[in-house]
Amino acid sequence: MNTALHYDLIIIGAGPAGMSAAIYASKNDMTVLVLDDQPAGGGQVYRHVMQNDAAEKKADFLGSDYWSGHKLADEFTRSSASLWPESRVWQITKEREVFFSQKGKAHRAQAGAILIATGAMERPMPITGWTLPGVMTIGAAQTMLKTSHSGVDGALFAGSGPLFYLTIWQYLNAGFDIKAVIDTAPGKMSLLHYFWALPALLQPSMLIKGLKWRSEIRRKTHYISGATAVSISGDSQAEALSFTDASGKQHRLEAEHIFLHQGVVPSINLTMATELEHRWCLRQLCWHPKTDIFGESSVQQIFVAGDGMGIGGAAAAISSGKIAAMRITAKARGTSSLNAVFQMVRQVQKMAIRPFLDYAFKPADEWLVPPDENAIICRCESLTKTDITKAITLGVSGPNQLKSFSRAGMGRCQGRMCGLTIQKMIADHNSQSEDKTGYYRLRPPIRPLTVGELAALADDTPTS
Amino acid sequence: MTPQHHKDRVIIIGGGIQGCAAAYFLAKRGQTVTLLEKDNIARRASGVNAGGVRRLGRDLAEIPLSLAAMDIWNHLSDEIGDAAMAFHPSFYVKVAIDEAGHIAGMARAEALQQAGFQHEVWLDETEIRKRIPCLARNISAQNMAGGEISGGLVVEGDGWAIPWRIVHGFADAAARNGATITEHCHVESLKRQNNVWQIHTNSGDFEADIVVNCAGAWAAALARQSGEPDLPLTAYAPMLAVTERRPQILNAVMGILGHTLSLKQLDTGQFVIGGGVRADADIHQNEAGLSIPELATSMYRAAQLFPDIAHAKIIRCWSGIEGYMPDNLPVIGRGNQDGLVHGFGFSAHGFQLGPAVGEALADLVMGQQPRNSLAAFSPQRFSA
Repeated sequence: MNTALHYDLIIIGAGPAGMSAAIYASKNDMTVLVLDDQPAGGGQVYRHVMQNDAAEKKADFLGSDYWSGHKLADEFTRSSASLWPESRVWQITKEREVFFSQKGKAHRAQAGAILIATGAMERPMPITGWTLPGVMTIGAAQTMLKTSHSGVDGALFAGSGPLFYLTIWQYLNAGFDIKAVIDTAPGKMSLLHYFWALPALLQPSMLIKGLKWRSEIRRKTHYISGATAVSISGDSQAEALSFTDASGKQHRLEAEHIFLHQGVVPSINLTMATELEHRWCLRQLCWHPKTDIFGESSVQQIFVAGDGMGIGGAAAAISSGKIAAMRITAKARGTSSLNAVFQMVRQVQKMAIRPFLDYAFKPADEWLVPPDENAIICRCESLTKTDITKAITLGVSGPNQLKSFSRAGMGRCQGRMCGLTIQKMIADHNSQSEDKTGYYRLRPPIRPLTVGELAALADDTPTS
Repeated sequence: MTPQHHKDRVIIIGGGIQGCAAAYFLAKRGQTVTLLEKDNIARRASGVNAGGVRRLGRDLAEIPLSLAAMDIWNHLSDEIGDAAMAFHPSFYVKVAIDEAGHIAGMARAEALQQAGFQHEVWLDETEIRKRIPCLARNISAQNMAGGEISGGLVVEGDGWAIPWRIVHGFADAAARNGATITEHCHVESLKRQNNVWQIHTNSGDFEADIVVNCAGAWAAALARQSGEPDLPLTAYAPMLAVTERRPQILNAVMGILGHTLSLKQLDTGQFVIGGGVRADADIHQNEAGLSIPELATSMYRAAQLFPDIAHAKIIRCWSGIEGYMPDNLPVIGRGNQDGLVHGFGFSAHGFQLGPAVGEALADLVMGQQPRNSLAAFSPQRFSA
């Protein structure tokens, strides 16, 4: 058995929340271990920022928001927190043991407190043809820009949301030619949007930035707004994208590369598999781990920060990571958490734009469940909407029972790609709330773990 | 829900393989039978077990029942129709990888022969390798016991099944024969009054002349509730892991004599790995624990037999809630009170027995003499 490692605080995820928590806690003499599956800190938003900074050719096209992450990543690198890169955490126990694999071996570490800062993932956009080769997410396009400054000319972008506009803007800055941008956000603002735009005025720079991205995209690309009924066709590879524009006219655009996006949702596989309590957020249409104001979950000494507790963006993540670290440190020292409360006031201001963004880019039903009966829902098991509907009509009360009936969610993605879609299908069919319908019961290992890696934890005690 | 009153001759409590098989055989023989399941059919140990259909390695007392069960498995489509396709017969082998295993295996083969059983035999290394060509040549390990494969115990025709499908097959077949299957029906109290069982549940009250207790890990609590003496049942959560799909290399179900392992490759190419490793279970909360590090030894053993498995990604681990008896033998027989029949405590090896147990329970309910002696499984064996 590997000798167990012990730390005051183990942080999972070296994104903005994880890095800021690590900086604060290590500054305050806590022993901190940070586990991240990437080769360096940064998370998705500041991916590769240290490497890009050290590179000869500066990737200025990524914009100032991205580069603002360098200061944080640099401070994190210089802190006393130890980062174990390329580590995949596959189980956390309520007793605060953390199990992870690194370089082909499994390890066990014990923590006084755990901070889960695993961020967000893109909401799957299960339209007809979304599984064809050549179709990728906006996030994948952005990762390529950040890590290798590469992209493709002549691509189509379909979807909506802040990350959608930012990535297209970065794509344009990097000099790639874009065939068309098909915006699925409703063309008109409703009263609710105007109402929520009021608090957003507390973050004028964010609003201005967003408007700037959108206007540049309108100016520099073939831009279509208010698109509906988007589908992708092709035999063994994406060939064309069809959609209906706001006036009801149908279009078909040919392209080999299509990038989709429908907003981001918290990555809940680790928090769910750790059996933390969650609640359904009607505004963001996703699950949030239940936490107190400091980010402590339903399990004592296990905290959540950043987008993993609810989508708030990078600035809010940095702040919530710090709040959690302040609370964790105060609890360990037996001191007051007043500083965390002060930090929270700043946090509120950093979240002001969020309700507006949530309502403005709330995905319409057709992006949550495809109208096309032949669209694939579960990629791992190649199950179509018809397959799932058939299983649901057998009478299932929630996604777990559906697993046995259809094998949906039993593949290697562990429901990341189909969970929210299937949950909505069941909720709609049974006319019951998302809270009541529930989600897949996720069980460890939540990250790929090989038989050989786990075997490395074996004891030398043959049984008889 | 408004309380309803039913009068049934037989009520079975528990929708696992034993309860569903009993419901099927009783319904087939024309009995009025209702099955009450607190969750869903096959939700617990019966639905999520390793699916091993094995006669190999059975306690001598269990062998006649196991052989009788196999007769039913081999003609399962006659009983449950298409669901029988979820059974994949091949062969089961437990190899010896060290001297202790070799000695134990040879002794077992001899004991079986003396008892007159021919189904389980010892095959030498060459024979085993002929049947399983991908088996590692040299399995000696750096930090664990192990050496050369010297042979193994084999049972032809054993195999594996998708347990969930089989149990549902029995439940559906029971329903087709007129049984009533009621899910989400939790028995809250069970009392015998004036020679009739009064069963109070969350969805109505029931009356029955005979109650069959197939409540698995919950069976001892139910028995105690009904006024039976305490039965020493402990609940645990046996654990399993399944890997991603890999090229087919293994057509047998495998174990190692004297070591923890149960290994099979499904028709999908996925490996299912487990074997005797169990976590804690909480029958009050319906919670099955899961402690993946405990599975490490089984992983080690699997990779020892087939080094390629080391590269396979584990995509899921799970556990079910199972009831264990101190002597690892089930409880099958009449209770102390009239009109009560027990069938539980299969200690993680009851799946294959299911069809024969169902038949035996039907015999007991109908006052007939079961085909095989159930003396070794008597509920009264603990009260001596």
